Amino acid sequence: MQFTTTKDALVNAVNTVSKAVSGKTTLPILEGILFQVQDDEIFLMGTDMEIGIKTKLTGDIKREGKVVLSARLLSELVRKLPEDEVSFILNENNMTKITCLNSEFNIQGESGEDFPKLPEINGEKNTVIPKDLFRSMIKETVFAVAKNDNIPILTGELLEIEEGRIKLVALDGYRLALRQGKTEEGISLKEVIPERTLVELYRLLSLKNEDLKLSATVNQVLFTLGDTSMVSSLLQGDYINYKQIIPSNHTTRVKIRKDELQSSCERASLMARDGKNNLIKMNFSGNNLEIKSNSELGNLHENITMDMEGDPLKIAFNCNYFIDALKVISEDEIVLEFTTSVSPCILKPVEGDHFVYLILPVRYIEH
Amino acid sequence: MQYAIIILTIDNLSTVFSTIVKGLWLFMKITIFLVDMNSFFISCEGTRHPEITGKPAAVAGDPKNRTGIILTSNYEARKFGVKTAMVVHEALRLCPDLILIPPDHRFYGQKSREVMEILSDFTPVIEQNSIDEAWLDMTGCEGIFGKPAESAIKIMERLKNELGLWCSIGISENKFLAKMASDMKKPLGITELWKEDIALKLWPLPVRSMYGVGKQTAKKLQSIGIMTIGDLARINEDILSRNLGKSGMEFHRLANGVDNSPVITHSHDDVKSISRSVTLAEDITDFEKAKIVLLRLSDEISTNARRHGKKGRTVQISIKYADFESITRQTTVPETFLSQEIYTAAHELLKKIWNTDLPVRLLGVSLTGFSKADHSAEATQLSLFNLPEIHSSLETSVNTENIIKQDLLEGTIDELRQKYGASMIKRAVLMKKQE
Repeated sequence: MQFTTTKDALVNAVNTVSKAVSGKTTLPILEGILFQVQDDEIFLMGTDMEIGIKTKLTGDIKREGKVVLSARLLSELVRKLPEDEVSFILNENNMTKITCLNSEFNIQGESGEDFPKLPEINGEKNTVIPKDLFRSMIKETVFAVAKNDNIPILTGELLEIEEGRIKLVALDGYRLALRQGKTEEGISLKEVIPERTLVELYRLLSLKNEDLKLSATVNQVLFTLGDTSMVSSLLQGDYINYKQIIPSNHTTRVKIRKDELQSSCERASLMARDGKNNLIKMNFSGNNLEIKSNSELGNLHENITMDMEGDPLKIAFNCNYFIDALKVISEDEIVLEFTTSVSPCILKPVEGDHFVYLILPVRYIEH
Repeated sequence: MQYAIIILTIDNLSTVFSTIVKGLWLFMKITIFLVDMNSFFISCEGTRHPEITGKPAAVAGDPKNRTGIILTSNYEARKFGVKTAMVVHEALRLCPDLILIPPDHRFYGQKSREVMEILSDFTPVIEQNSIDEAWLDMTGCEGIFGKPAESAIKIMERLKNELGLWCSIGISENKFLAKMASDMKKPLGITELWKEDIALKLWPLPVRSMYGVGKQTAKKLQSIGIMTIGDLARINEDILSRNLGKSGMEFHRLANGVDNSPVITHSHDDVKSISRSVTLAEDITDFEKAKIVLLRLSDEISTNARRHGKKGRTVQISIKYADFESITRQTTVPETFLSQEIYTAAHELLKKIWNTDLPVRLLGVSLTGFSKADHSAEATQLSLFNLPEIHSSLETSVNTENIIKQDLLEGTIDELRQKYGASMIKRAVLMKKQE
């Protein structure tokens, strides 16, 4: 193996694939990055056997071959190289010579033959997903993924494509986040993607400008962004029927300025932090929302004006659940819908249905 | 002068007011009792083993066991010279007919609670000092129960009649003197020791008998020529503070009958952690045996935690190897007081940290990380899985159901034990072979 490339291209490629390399593994070879030169192309690959990332490196190829080099060492090494051309030469016993200007490293590598092959995915279901839409969909739902694996399926998000609609749903038992938008017609898909895959995909989407292609098989999914591709296993099992959870009717409907509600919740969280449920108490009545929170630290009391239709209501929440949702909403005004003080609250846009956040209240008995 | 009092600022007013309150307080003579249960463990045993009355008997660890020492002996046994902390075989040499009863701390704990229950009928201000003694602030109770000595008789009679337990009561104006007084006459003694009596009653006693003075302190005091409490009371403070530092000054004050520490009621909310540990009868290297010990400890912690209404988030285990090296490790769990969950966490930890090549002599489990205020009754985060729509469609709801069932089960076990005693219901693995 022998090729020449630039420092910048190398840094990018190494950074991209190291996302899939796990720090600790039982298989030492997985701590490395595979460099492979074949058919006039240079590829870098990293995997932890759950996800795998492969990217193309542009460069001048002299000789084919492959080697595995330590990901941790390499990502530091390439950053410290001077800004110039970098050449790789694979010598005997996997010793790899990396030269850049006057520096010459000789790195002990491992045989490229031992590196696991990424599964070839020729999915039956292929589609192009609007890149920016999918990126914001991840950002605006991923916080609601379950943090513990009591119910394994909830550690991922449901990706649902149907009749030109793409939906991403996360829920952790206390709240639900749903984001949807338009996509290509003609494909129908329902898969649960692990949280980590989505987080890494979000990073890739922030770096690259190409279209996002998706290809799914029974238990794996392949995302392709130009020269970079990412394979991930899918979570097996049926996702919870989230449609059943979202109430279709309400008895109280509130229109409120999002920023005001968010700041108010953030202030309330200062006082609620100490307690067990980060309790924030809301009293919707007339055109006023009264907010209270208290703990051993002290208490907060404030009022926000809003528009209300329907019955007045007193209800309590974990204010962090509100803050998490409000933080990712970009609308100026939002709608809140309630039925009782012990049933879910819905946050949605004034117009349209591109997001739905559902939060379950805290049952609270006032003394 | 009268006009001067009227022209007061708010600040002054509150000062004046508090001075008046303090003044009133001075008129009311502070009365502190120390109620000390006489040879508590063996007396407790006496209530369920009437056959030992009048015979020398003692509560002691198993003689074959390394904890084989006398824990408490009754007065008949004391006549033979049997003392607390004496090794069992020595006690048997002094008194060959001594009846030995293995300790049952749960039973004593139960009796102790019953004692405190009765004491709380006399005053709400009770500070339990140990399993068998407590300070009672009886200030201002004269109107209800009569003179201190009369109310002390009432307390003693009730403990004797209702529980079959004897006590000694010390009466004074502070905790220290009350404690010293209670030691003066045992059993069934009521002793008043007021500050004006100390020169006569307290000062002639050897320093070693002073509350708070242990073997080492006594040695130090004797080395500077202090033999009696009187010597301690009269010695120059500088000499004391040079030799014993701060605690020397404190002993000097106490010897002079001065003790301003209040009787502090311990509330259940003060519980920061609940722990249980056991020094094993023999060092173990067998993981299966250790599991049984952990299960027993988890059971005890769980019962205790439920009684306090406390759920903890941290489970900690400690192990002491045969070479006395100790390790503690902890882990975070979803809030719980269930035996099953405490055990699972403790078991995981043990599996991780125990190097089974090394024999273990002590195992301990503790539950901490209680939420500051337990609002669980007033505020409960609702879960999607409890919504009827979801509940039916989710197989994972089995999980929550299990927890609820476990909760009911352990609660029921508590009730059974409360009513019929701890050995009423046991886990099969904790049963001894002969049972």
